[in-house]
Amino acid sequence: MTSSMSNLVKILEGFNPFVEEIDEKEVKITISSDKVVAVLETLKSNGYSHLSLMTCIDWIDDNQLELVYILFSWKNGGKFLVSTRIDRNDPKFVTVKELWPVARFYEREIHEFFGVEFEGNDDMKPLFLELWDEKPPLRKDFDPRDYSRKKFPDRKYEKDVIKEAKIFRGEING
Amino acid sequence: MKERTIWEQIADSFRSRSIWMLHYCTGCGAMELPPTMTARFDMERFGITPMATPRQADIMLITGYLNTKTLRRVIYTYEQMADPKYVVGFGSCTINGGIYFDSYSTINRLDYYIPVDVYIAGCMPRPEAILEAFNYLMEKIRKGEADGWKRYKENYDWYKQNQIRSLGEVYVHDEFHE
Amino acid sequence: MVAAYKALFNLVLGFFLVLSLEGVGRKITARVQRRIGPPWYQNFIDVFKALSKHPFSNGWVFDFGVLMALGGAMATAMIVPMGSTTWTPFPNSDNFFVIMYLFAVGALGMAMGMVGSGNPWASIGVSRALTQMLGYELPYLIVISSTIFYYKTASIHKLVELQKNGWNLLVMPLGGIIAFISLMGMLGKKPFDISTAPAEIASGPMTELSGKYLGLLHIMHVFAMFVEVSLFVDVFLGGGNLGWYLVKFIVVWVLAVLISSVLPRFRIEQMLKFYWGVPLGLAFLNALFVLLGWTL
Repeated sequence: MTSSMSNLVKILEGFNPFVEEIDEKEVKITISSDKVVAVLETLKSNGYSHLSLMTCIDWIDDNQLELVYILFSWKNGGKFLVSTRIDRNDPKFVTVKELWPVARFYEREIHEFFGVEFEGNDDMKPLFLELWDEKPPLRKDFDPRDYSRKKFPDRKYEKDVIKEAKIFRGEING
Repeated sequence: MKERTIWEQIADSFRSRSIWMLHYCTGCGAMELPPTMTARFDMERFGITPMATPRQADIMLITGYLNTKTLRRVIYTYEQMADPKYVVGFGSCTINGGIYFDSYSTINRLDYYIPVDVYIAGCMPRPEAILEAFNYLMEKIRKGEADGWKRYKENYDWYKQNQIRSLGEVYVHDEFHE
Repeated sequence: MVAAYKALFNLVLGFFLVLSLEGVGRKITARVQRRIGPPWYQNFIDVFKALSKHPFSNGWVFDFGVLMALGGAMATAMIVPMGSTTWTPFPNSDNFFVIMYLFAVGALGMAMGMVGSGNPWASIGVSRALTQMLGYELPYLIVISSTIFYYKTASIHKLVELQKNGWNLLVMPLGGIIAFISLMGMLGKKPFDISTAPAEIASGPMTELSGKYLGLLHIMHVFAMFVEVSLFVDVFLGGGNLGWYLVKFIVVWVLAVLISSVLPRFRIEQMLKFYWGVPLGLAFLNALFVLLGWTL
């Protein structure tokens, strides 16, 4: 952790975060979901103005979804991973499109692949999937193999042992 | 098989010597085409040249994975091509789905949706294999055996049914297509 | 009657000569790039294959445009003299301006038909082609005007006869070079193949052409190239019998192919800046020399 980043962590002390140092310039902050927007605002006003990724992880055993915001600073190259966990059965969160307009598309994507609703972001048209008719595909309880079998017919192989043996012996040309 | 007239035989021999290709480069197969075109292997000596639009092309190369989204575009493109048209499927991904056979978005076998004249095995096929396949395709066209375009017309309902089963609807209506 | 046979001979010769020379050009380009290249008769196969396909039409404007382009180019190819008065089908109407006007019929037919296809790439390609015409025609016409002023005739076969004692290229070398640069643009060879740039605008005007239409337009292109190179040979490289004419034709063609095979493509505004810069200035200089009588 560089000194500027540890100073920033001290400022964030009031939000009661769980701080984890991943790398010299990469820090993960885990906080409860009601303080996320305040933490993001603080980080943005302190130079971490670039939302380089917003993504989601499905923890099916804990029955929780984890939202991760990765913030990058163009001043010192530091990275903050702001992470929070929300309920998996009723996944709802607030939008951050007022802070970063690009978050509209990340939220659309997360809505599409994990089924998270973002309050305040009404534009939830499908972004990548066309005519999707199942549960969100990146949730862990979605079985892609089953879906693939149902939707995309596979090739049936009939094993002809005698023919294979003949090819193997060079009697016929496969 | 139906007997061809003398004119069809002449036309087929011309078609086999002048193949204009449209490459739908979705995957790693696109990397194998530049060496096949350029000085090392030089496919132009067989009269095979790349074309820019489906209207002018004779064969379509599907070089890699197709998912539901790209398959729609492939069907659009295939139906825009002028008869007679041929399709070459590259690699295991078009044959049986390859290593991502269980993905929620990649299709498993291409010949369910459009007729394929030649498959090239491999992951990915080397330029030697590609040239071998083109020679085989030329032979097939010359003998009049490459009749995928006729099969597509005869079994149009079957192909459409498969397309709708996997894609829901072939024609897209979204913010980019209206 | 003899004139009709001669005109027919013009068409047949133009078709076979230019199609085989196109194949030879592909072979030369391939050799420059250290490939083997297609056989010299590859373009015949391409054209006949294109004619054997089952095309799509895009309405009557499209059909009529393709036919008009082919007709215009064939009419022009019929009246072009080939190196001497003996091989001039219509000695009274082979005026340079007649040829240029007839030639525009083909180009306009192509523009009309291709815009009629309704494809945006085709419209962009046509607008590029017409812009390019504006680029190369200006220096070319100034050089030809000074030639016409020098020889006091616009009839091509008379120009050929007047060059008995010395080629026009040696009389006004500057003009010859400028005309050759313009010829590269007319042929659509490599630095100037902006209108049909396959990597940018999907082969431009030809985007919507399929099968037979493509074959017909290829034949139109063949006749157009025959006219363009023939005009250059007639106006600048003097007369001779048919054999000499063919030799000159082939030399000019091979030179253009060699230059084009080592060059990349201009952008559209670079092409205009190029043509309206040095070549146009040199064309005016050439005209000034001719006016002052400072010719070799």
